[in-house]
Amino acid sequence: MTRTAKAIAMISGGLDSTLALALVRRQGIAVKAITFYTGFCITETQRRKGGRADGTVPRNEALRAAADLEVEIEYVDISGGPYLDMLVHPKYGYGKNANPCVDCRIFMMSRAREIMEAEGADFVFTGEVLGQRPKSQRRDTLRIIERESGLDGRLLRPLSAKLLPPTLPEKEGLVDRERLLDISGRSRLRQIALAEELGVVDFPQPAGGCCYLTDESFSRKFFDVLEAREAAGEERRLAPEDVVLLSTGRHFRLSPRAKLVVGRTEVENALLEHHVAGRARVEARGVLGPVALVEGEPTWEERVLASRIVARYGKGKDLPKVEVEWREGDLVETYEVEPEQDEGRIEALRV
Amino acid sequence: MTATTDMPAPARTIDTSGRLCPYPIVETAKAIRAMDDGAVLLVVATDPGIALDMPMWCKATRHEHLGTFQEGGAWKSFVRKRAPGGRP
Repeated sequence: MTRTAKAIAMISGGLDSTLALALVRRQGIAVKAITFYTGFCITETQRRKGGRADGTVPRNEALRAAADLEVEIEYVDISGGPYLDMLVHPKYGYGKNANPCVDCRIFMMSRAREIMEAEGADFVFTGEVLGQRPKSQRRDTLRIIERESGLDGRLLRPLSAKLLPPTLPEKEGLVDRERLLDISGRSRLRQIALAEELGVVDFPQPAGGCCYLTDESFSRKFFDVLEAREAAGEERRLAPEDVVLLSTGRHFRLSPRAKLVVGRTEVENALLEHHVAGRARVEARGVLGPVALVEGEPTWEERVLASRIVARYGKGKDLPKVEVEWREGDLVETYEVEPEQDEGRIEALRV
Repeated sequence: MTATTDMPAPARTIDTSGRLCPYPIVETAKAIRAMDDGAVLLVVATDPGIALDMPMWCKATRHEHLGTFQEGGAWKSFVRKRAPGGRP
């Protein structure tokens, strides 16, 4: 070692990034951890909605990992416009669902490079494992991500380092390559053994990722928004508010110009109340029922249909008629409708 | 039992009510940067996640978590700034 190196750790708090953090710390390298807020984390959303069904609130694993290893951590919020633009126009395309993992990694690592430069750090490291994920962790894509993020030679993957070309900090003697690892593939057996060796005892079980963009149902809603905007002659884009609504409620596409979102729980109803501006708020009168929002420009027929669906999800679903309040700003109308009983029709509209 | 009345007077208070995780922690990090070593920051939040997050964030960043208390629908979290190299 020539001098004490400083590194930026990109951590999620999962097993791999926790192990990478512990491995680099073990070499006496000063580490600052960063974790990214994208707005698409399933755990974060679960916390926002009051926790799990059993009443427990999931931990923030990145904070937990940094606390366990006593490493300074910074939350980096990338959930704004440039990140959303990247999601809509990914240069390297999508994975199985709405997940542009390669572009997302490039985006995050570019930000990590900026932090590395601002902090005067020598390199960035991650918990990536060669061959663990089908697209973003192949040898060729790892190389693309490194090059396009501007981290050429300064991006270390401690868990797979011996299977990859030596990085600059290794060549400069700041990192001892011999104490790095050669893990590859999807099995976690070596990581679990390493956790025991390094004394890492508290880590979440691998859950196949925590990103909504990899979720099939979420992806349908994601592309539905983009396609509906395009069909209505608008720009193919996403706004931060879309992201909140995409993970809330049942979604029904009434037409390219109108969509209905129906709350599923009290927490979702309360959340929808915060997004009434610019939308119609629809709710049954006189019987308990969900809060619903309609966005776009529904026709008269679509207003009635939306009201019938809202009535169907309330306590008055078996009544012959239900009064439904349709509120747009100060304008309030009341429709008397039959709750929609045709499940096939409802399913055909469901996004 | 420790209560907010047993806490030292805060030098600064930030109210993150209505903002959801991770913003209370992001705002805490920003606010504490400008404070003197040993000064106390009070963070008010309505996101229940703060009760889990604040102790972990303090442990990671070496600031001192004095306590987090629920009062109705809000949480009050007291943090004493510990500058790097400052008193333990």
